[in-house]
Amino acid sequence: MSRFRIAALLTISFTALAAAGVSAHHSIQAQFDINKSFTIAGSVAKVEWINPHSYLTLNVKADDGKVEKWAFEMGAAGQLRRTGLSRADRGGLKAGDAVTIKALAARDGSNSGLLQEITTADGRVFKLRPDGTEAQ
Amino acid sequence: MRVLACSRIIAAAGALCLCSAAVVAQEAPRLRTTNAPPKPSGVTPRAAGGHPDLTGVWNALGDNLNGVPNQIANNGVVIESDTSARDLKSGLAIAVFPRNTNRVLNEEQAERAASLLRRSGSNRPVYKPEHWEMIKNFDHNSNEEDPSNNCMPAGIPRGGIPSYIGQFPNYVIFIYPGQGGLIATQTMYRMIPTDGRRHTPLQELDGSYTGEGIGHWEGDTLVVDSWGFTPNTWFDQIGGYAHGENMHVVERFRREGNTLTWTATVEDPDYLLEPWTTTPRVALLNPRADAVLPESLPCSERDLSHIVTKEHH
Repeated sequence: MSRFRIAALLTISFTALAAAGVSAHHSIQAQFDINKSFTIAGSVAKVEWINPHSYLTLNVKADDGKVEKWAFEMGAAGQLRRTGLSRADRGGLKAGDAVTIKALAARDGSNSGLLQEITTADGRVFKLRPDGTEAQ
Repeated sequence: MRVLACSRIIAAAGALCLCSAAVVAQEAPRLRTTNAPPKPSGVTPRAAGGHPDLTGVWNALGDNLNGVPNQIANNGVVIESDTSARDLKSGLAIAVFPRNTNRVLNEEQAERAASLLRRSGSNRPVYKPEHWEMIKNFDHNSNEEDPSNNCMPAGIPRGGIPSYIGQFPNYVIFIYPGQGGLIATQTMYRMIPTDGRRHTPLQELDGSYTGEGIGHWEGDTLVVDSWGFTPNTWFDQIGGYAHGENMHVVERFRREGNTLTWTATVEDPDYLLEPWTTTPRVALLNPRADAVLPESLPCSERDLSHIVTKEHH
């Protein structure tokens, strides 16, 4: 059975990773810069619970007064529910809410990011994923 | 020789989170540190005809890994503990060395470790030589080429174990919710007659994602024989494992207590040198008698146009 022999050297720790990891249908680092986060303020356009990733669309007023759309990838429904991003009358977000978003930057330079944290004008904080900035 | 032959040396520095997501409706997922098959418990109910009754919601904590039905097990790696993994086909242990740090790994390291682990299983389809180059290119360019990466159905056998089975005297109903997480698929359903009818001649069928499935019982095992597939599905997320329109799939479902064991054997006279049988998967019955299958989220893929490298799971 030598053709099935596996000499694999795996350094594995099964317990240490935050739940946010290893969950994207694409490779996270193929789309986002895990070492570069940014903060941006705007108003919520919509929150969509969809597969493979939910999305928050943000209206951001540019310096020239025009409104730009920014798209932020989020996790699965279970993560959003645990974070509290459900119905507005249960403390979730609604269109028009002023928020500040911290996200990992898109590597292609587009108006998008991987959402890490949302802070509302009244001080509520939704933490969706760890910093992801502890690269070695 | 095997396409993408068995790993010789895989060095992975990483962490793997084995957590099962959204597996019991409305209940928080539990963290798992093993993907070893669950042990059956309880009695096996019988239907009126004497066969096991497979009816139920089969989405409880079974072989899910990160919300995806055990794709590591599909290639045949069982994670036995924090420090032990094994290749199921050969039975050989995979050397595992504990990390020398307790620092939480970042996502880049974790994803790469998980991907390498998934690729270390030796249970793989064996392709005819004329397809090696194509399969290799599919794997290399999987972000663009994987037909299930963009909200299309996973197909059979990639769909694995249905999350709901309804068993009736002359047919069974299978429902496969659309998935997010590691893959992006839309819902599939199958209505499979078990009334003794024969297949439609293959050349009369339009290719479809689940094919024409016909069921029959072999003892206590439900056997679903399918052909008439579209070639626009793969066997797994990794490997670029494509197939042709003459693919023939035989699935076996066996219920023991609260477990359901599934395997699929794939024959493809155009693509494969020999039949390929998936590593068995085991699902658990939802423990709640009143469980219902929740609606799948609609699938709308928005990321692939922003991918800048070829890295994939």
